Amino acid sequence: MSDRLTRKQFFGRAAAGGALLTVPGLASACGTSVNNASKSNASAPVQKKLAKVLNFDNWPLYIDVGKSHNHPSLQQFTKQTGVQVNYVENINDNQSFFGKIQGPLSRGEGIGADLIVMTDSSGYPQKLIQLGWLEKLYKPAIPNIKNLVASQQHPSWDPNRDYSLPWQSGMTGIGYDPNKVGYELTSVDKLLSDPKLKGKITLLNELSDTVGLIMLANGDDPAHVTKTTWNRAMNTIQKAVNSGQIRQFTGNDYAPLLANGSIYACFAWSGDLVQLKADHPGLKWNLPDTGGMLWTDNMLIPLKGNVFTASTYMNFYYEPKIAAEVEDYVNYICPCQGADKVLEKTDPAVAHNTLIFPTQQMYNNAHPFDPVAVNNPTYKQQFQNVIGA
Amino acid sequence: MTTQAVSLPAEPRPRVTAAAIGRWVGSRVLSVYAVLALLYLFLPIVVVIAFSFNNPRGRFNFTWEGFTWKNWTHPFAVPGIGSAIRISLEIAVLSSIAATMLGTLMALALIRYRIRGQGGLNMLVFLPMATPEIVMGSSLLALFLNWSFISLGFVTILIAHIMFNISYVVVTVRARLAGFDRHLEEAAHDLGANGWTTFRKVTLPLIAPGVLAANLLAFALSIDDFVITYFNSGSTITFPLFVWGSARVATPPQINVIGTMIFIVAVGGMLANIVVQNRRARRAV
Amino acid sequence: MSAIAEASGPPAGGRERRSFLSFGRRRKLVAYGLLAPGLAWLLVFFVVPMYFLGETSLESGSYPTFTFNWAWHNYSDAITTFHTQFLRSIEFAGIATVIALLISYPLAYWIAFRGGRWKNLYLLLVIAPFFVTYLIRTLAWETILADDGWVVSVLHTLHILGPNGRLLATSGAVIAGITYNFMPFMVLPLYVSLEQIDWRLLEAARDLYASSRIAFLRVTLPLSLPGVFAGTLLTFIPACGDFINAQLLGTPQQYMIGNVIQSQFLVINNYPEAAALSFVLMAAIMLAVIVYARLLGTERLAGAAAAAA
Repeated sequence: MSDRLTRKQFFGRAAAGGALLTVPGLASACGTSVNNASKSNASAPVQKKLAKVLNFDNWPLYIDVGKSHNHPSLQQFTKQTGVQVNYVENINDNQSFFGKIQGPLSRGEGIGADLIVMTDSSGYPQKLIQLGWLEKLYKPAIPNIKNLVASQQHPSWDPNRDYSLPWQSGMTGIGYDPNKVGYELTSVDKLLSDPKLKGKITLLNELSDTVGLIMLANGDDPAHVTKTTWNRAMNTIQKAVNSGQIRQFTGNDYAPLLANGSIYACFAWSGDLVQLKADHPGLKWNLPDTGGMLWTDNMLIPLKGNVFTASTYMNFYYEPKIAAEVEDYVNYICPCQGADKVLEKTDPAVAHNTLIFPTQQMYNNAHPFDPVAVNNPTYKQQFQNVIGA
Repeated sequence: MTTQAVSLPAEPRPRVTAAAIGRWVGSRVLSVYAVLALLYLFLPIVVVIAFSFNNPRGRFNFTWEGFTWKNWTHPFAVPGIGSAIRISLEIAVLSSIAATMLGTLMALALIRYRIRGQGGLNMLVFLPMATPEIVMGSSLLALFLNWSFISLGFVTILIAHIMFNISYVVVTVRARLAGFDRHLEEAAHDLGANGWTTFRKVTLPLIAPGVLAANLLAFALSIDDFVITYFNSGSTITFPLFVWGSARVATPPQINVIGTMIFIVAVGGMLANIVVQNRRARRAV
Repeated sequence: MSAIAEASGPPAGGRERRSFLSFGRRRKLVAYGLLAPGLAWLLVFFVVPMYFLGETSLESGSYPTFTFNWAWHNYSDAITTFHTQFLRSIEFAGIATVIALLISYPLAYWIAFRGGRWKNLYLLLVIAPFFVTYLIRTLAWETILADDGWVVSVLHTLHILGPNGRLLATSGAVIAGITYNFMPFMVLPLYVSLEQIDWRLLEAARDLYASSRIAFLRVTLPLSLPGVFAGTLLTFIPACGDFINAQLLGTPQQYMIGNVIQSQFLVINNYPEAAALSFVLMAAIMLAVIVYARLLGTERLAGAAAAAA
């Protein structure tokens, strides 16, 4: 800055900048709607032309990594279709990511991504559909959709898979150290009442996971939440909090605590235990006998994303060979049928790992959470009150 | 000239008084205390460095599984970690320097001159520190979204970091200016120096430790910032964003390696600087 | 009257005013000139967003339709519903600040007076922990303070902790986390102020038969007060809004107002409430700062020079 701004210049520029900060503009960016319809999903008919670049936002370390730090499956996609993939790992949390993208989306603008991945149990994919901020998939470009695992084909929040396709799945159950606990822990009731576990257990701060498991233990159905079943679950949790049984409510920071022995048991995600068991083979993960929760990270096309290219990629991913490549690295639950057959030959350990390719019995025992209840503001506030903030 | 006529009184032997013992103990205690405080600061860092040699089979680096060199021979094995730390360092250097300049000028103005609205300005300096990061980050994002000529990424992160660093610089430099001896400047004036020369040759060197400390503080704040950066980063990934992002599925030891490397480079650079200064001082003597 | 910007102005007590740029005007321009860049940055990138945040705080409704209707109830709701967390935040931040001061003052003193030519190196060492991100530092603490770790075992043996006692997931852990993470913010301003103290003043005190204790209390401590003031502010103010230590190291009984604001914003998407909570927090902090400054005597802290100028 060689010449200082004169006062006149300074104020002139500030005024110009200020003129851009219109109240409606900023207000709507903050989520207020001022004369704008939020259901603006009138997409033009899909152009059947591949874009030059696919902008793919995903969670970190959620895709295969090759020897030279590239992503072989993405390179194969480029070779097959000629589309470059701009792969960005900038999603680390559903809530924060939503907080970041809701600004442009609420004004009908794109976010610079053709494909994003968000978890159904957070309620945000449902919210995005409701708000009209997603584009529909172009099914004619996705014949491989038939490879989708049966129990994932008709989720209640997107019954025809019009807006989403799973990228990876996971289950929520009980992770524990049998040596510390002393027995096979398959009961949520035991988890919450065994005095030996007092102060040595954690639950998740994710509403659908924790409340879902509690409801199942209470004999209620988490896929259809009513006020009665909700209050019952809240009481159960509150009692355990008051008695000091529950040490903390965590995100996935239960993992170091379980690994170093500070906690004996917790509500845990299947994929985390796959990693922990590599170093601590004694640790175990079960679906509770009353049932566990199933969640999916879904590929979604945000407003103004290139529908045809994104759909083409989704089809590519649902090729069992490709899904197997990704699965071999990611080690969560694969949503593509046939991938385990491919891995039988190349990596049988992964193919036979029930935390990666669950049995049908496990699928029967794993439930989704009520997609409407998960976004109910009263329920959300009540849950936050119970977990402390 | 006789040499014996007058002899200087012999140096009085230090009396072993309680006060003397107290002083001796006091200075030792101080050193011990300071070393303990430094150890306390470094205890987790020792663990971090140790775990950079850890050899876990899984993707988490929580418990000791065995020693290996491979993290150090392949520090950038995790894709994205190299560019993340590079971007973080660039932003930290740029934002700390910019914030130090802006903040030092502000501190000078606030201390030296009776400005109308001084109280309000002081409050304005404190407010960014008091604002919860999540609302500061998201409000700033809303601002940037309205200015479509700025695209979210490196520049917006830099702007945000400079913004929150200014307050910390102002408060730190002001602590230095508060005890500043104005007579030195007056003396310079009396010797014919104009304002700028006085500033350059008298004021600046005397407040330099304050300015340096403020710079270090701003650097530390910038390199470790997460929440504000997350909201204003677009698709750019800084080192904290990378670490927090991967934490859901992995905590690769390479993170420890990179952190240690930065630390070693910084300390090494500082040591080299000190050695050079010493040589220069010795030569000047 | 000493002034910095007097170039070739009229001699002290000068006779004529030199046209437009008189003595006083010149000073004013310089003052504003120094102030302008930083102030402009803060105005554009902080005040403007805060203005719109203020607007948001007076809206009501549910996501995504919020309408502005002077919803002052957001503020009263904020205080009545979450006063526990507010008070707890002030309490935790206050305790952490005091502990940080007690640990940092001797360290800063030692670096300033005994550091010699290694001073800058020690300063670097003080901020070095920040090169490793917060998460990794905290994981290291979780390893050190693990229930099965040797620190806890030793404390059990010494009966300092009860047989079921733990260090993690307690108020102590949260406060320790806050203290640890804000130590550089306390050390650096203290050092900055201490380093400036002329050692000859202490020598003079000794010559006047002061013991080291008196010399410290009557000479060093008062001269270092600007540093104490700055350090405590730089620690207390941001610590009040901290959430991450409580989240990782605390139980629901330790959650602070920062956690509430996080959840209101990110999980419940109640932006007006989050905004109102933020403003209440900021107001509470500012009030505390004003009271504190009065107690310590602002003239001394802002520099007697400014008052005299």
